[in-house]
Amino acid sequence: MKSVPMLSSAFLHPAGESLPEPLLALRKERASALVDMPLPTRKTENWKYSSKYLKLADDMAISLPAEGKTGNSLAVPGYKVVFINGVMIPEASEYPDLDGIEILSFNDLANDEAEALPAKLGSTLNHDQVQFARLNGARFEDGLLIRLKPDAVLDQPLFIIHETSADASGSAYPRIYVEAGANSQLTLVEEYTSSGEASALVSTVTEFNLADGANVTSIRLNMEGENVQHIGATGVLQQRSSRFESHCVGFGGPLRRHDLQVRLEGEGAETKLNGVVVTQGKQHYDNHTSIDHVAAHCNSEETYRNIAADQSHAVFNGRIHIHQDAQKSNADMNNKNLLLSNGAEIDTKPELEIYADDVKCAHGATIGQLDETSVFYLVSRGIGRRQANVLLTMAFINELVQQIPVEAVRETAQARLSDFFEQTFQEA
Amino acid sequence: MLSIKNLHASVEGKEILKGINLEIKAGEVHAIMGPNGSGKSTLSQVLAGNDAFEVTEGEVTLNGDNLLDLETEERAREGIFLAFQYPVEIPGVSNLQFLRTAVNAMRKHKGQDEMNAAEFMKLAKEVSKQVDLDPAFLKRGVNEGFSGGEKKRNEIMQALLLQPKLAILDETDSGLDIDALKVVSDGVNALRSEDRAILMVTHYQRLLNHIVPDYVHVLAGGKIIKSGGRELALELEEKGYGWLGIKDDDTSN
Ligand SMILES: Nc1ncnc2c1ncn2[C@@H]1O[C@H](COP(=O)(O)OP(=O)(O)O)[C@@H](O)[C@H]1O
Ligand SMILES: [Mg+2]
Repeated sequence: MKSVPMLSSAFLHPAGESLPEPLLALRKERASALVDMPLPTRKTENWKYSSKYLKLADDMAISLPAEGKTGNSLAVPGYKVVFINGVMIPEASEYPDLDGIEILSFNDLANDEAEALPAKLGSTLNHDQVQFARLNGARFEDGLLIRLKPDAVLDQPLFIIHETSADASGSAYPRIYVEAGANSQLTLVEEYTSSGEASALVSTVTEFNLADGANVTSIRLNMEGENVQHIGATGVLQQRSSRFESHCVGFGGPLRRHDLQVRLEGEGAETKLNGVVVTQGKQHYDNHTSIDHVAAHCNSEETYRNIAADQSHAVFNGRIHIHQDAQKSNADMNNKNLLLSNGAEIDTKPELEIYADDVKCAHGATIGQLDETSVFYLVSRGIGRRQANVLLTMAFINELVQQIPVEAVRETAQARLSDFFEQTFQEA
Repeated sequence: MLSIKNLHASVEGKEILKGINLEIKAGEVHAIMGPNGSGKSTLSQVLAGNDAFEVTEGEVTLNGDNLLDLETEERAREGIFLAFQYPVEIPGVSNLQFLRTAVNAMRKHKGQDEMNAAEFMKLAKEVSKQVDLDPAFLKRGVNEGFSGGEKKRNEIMQALLLQPKLAILDETDSGLDIDALKVVSDGVNALRSEDRAILMVTHYQRLLNHIVPDYVHVLAGGKIIKSGGRELALELEEKGYGWLGIKDDDTSN
């Protein structure tokens, strides 16, 4: 019998000892739980399409140093926190000292301030589904704690730039924890980007804990380079009448995985998840989402679009679990996919588990190709074939891009996507 | 300007056009009439370069150049314009973006500067007025949710913006009420000029009351079986296609 591959013990040794004592202790505890962590294989249900892209070499276990250049990315109109390889860079960050809002690096927390954190970190996630969040828990060297007091409103979006800078092989473990007090409001933009050419692993965890009536918008741009394998998890806990909105835009890579888990725990909570993924060449991207309707009278609306060109591979797995007491739940999941070549692959799977009887749950998934009639219409007006393809491909996701509520991000995403498609259709 | 010689074309192995001959000179307006299924749209699509149709024999030249060698977009840039019988809806691409991209592709081909968004907006608003389309339609997806008549007016709007050498109008009159027919024909008449030719394809002759053709051809069974002047259309109207021994099984419209 072939033995199951295990996470190399090289990955069990964290760097960075400047964290407050309670967090160092937490890390140690999480590391001990990793000792027997099997790596996913194609027999691992939630990794079956993606395990073959995961390539962890021992030299990638080394913590990437918190140095390197930043800022190849968004022109940031709002507040900004810059992380390099998972460690906050205060000189590059600019954010306000506002009433009722704390934005703190884990490393800046006093021991007593950090005492409450171990119970919170990871509390929004179902770790059995996001095995790699444990790795982050064992390895994070810093992190960002964002705390909004009740009724606090962040007047501008907060941008968090996560730069992976890899001049030599290694890994980074960015971590964010957001505590949104009752009726507070926040828009958070996470941009994942990279520099350097060496092979790197980024394992991220972002958590949102929304109290009653809190309103949080999360935008996530995944645009690291071809040397970076990205495994990210986002956990969301929502209490009564809170509202969460997520916009994920992901560009393919050698391995891209994002798990988004939302638990609707209070009545009247609403969540809206939008996602756009584009892959080309031999790239990969895998989105796994999971929405738990735990309380009654909650709404969830999910719209994901994948576009795969060349020999690339996109995966979407959308789980909706409506618990027994979650009567009057409203869940709507829609996944549309566009294959731009015969060599590309898209796997899409809805997973519905419904244990309440009075619910509305709709889901739909399609896989299609560019419509030749539409292409002909455009080229018959003198528009070049390549440009016609780009226009139609953009059209497939335009509705979602237009919904990104921060103009600077929307424009960046649009420009990057259209560059991406120009490249995709270069040969055409 | 356009010369079609012995054109044969088939779709999915079935021959539809069986030897079309047609000469169109600059400044002329030709009408091709024929019952449903006679091959009118096939001819239009073949001229525009739809490669769902295979040309098996014959030649087509535009001002002496072999048209059949050109890609669809090249034909458009050389001045061929087809107003579709069934314009497609393209949600996600705004009409404005589509029109500007098309106009700029043409300008670029002619060595002219591209128009910026503001310049184009001004032009597009004027032309949309000309075809009686609310400028709000510019913001919508291409033909998205347009009524049949609005789609046809959008086609004519494109012709007015692109100023083709040869405009082929495939059943541009179908589905139009009297007012819309007037708007559309005013648009087409505005296109008439010395150096432009118009090929109208239609089942009925009512459009020809508004846009008076110089020549009328009757297409049946993939061939032009009769040609004449304006009076031929009137005769057809009066006597029906049966007069020429053609079966017209069309009951629509
Ligand atoms: N894409 C196609 N596939 C198969 N048959 C077609 C296609 N397009 C047209 N035809 C056939 O070709 C014939 C001529 O059609 P068409 O050119 O649309 O006629 P018209 O425009 O005069 O009504 C009809 O018999 C029609 O069924
Ligand atoms: Mg027709």
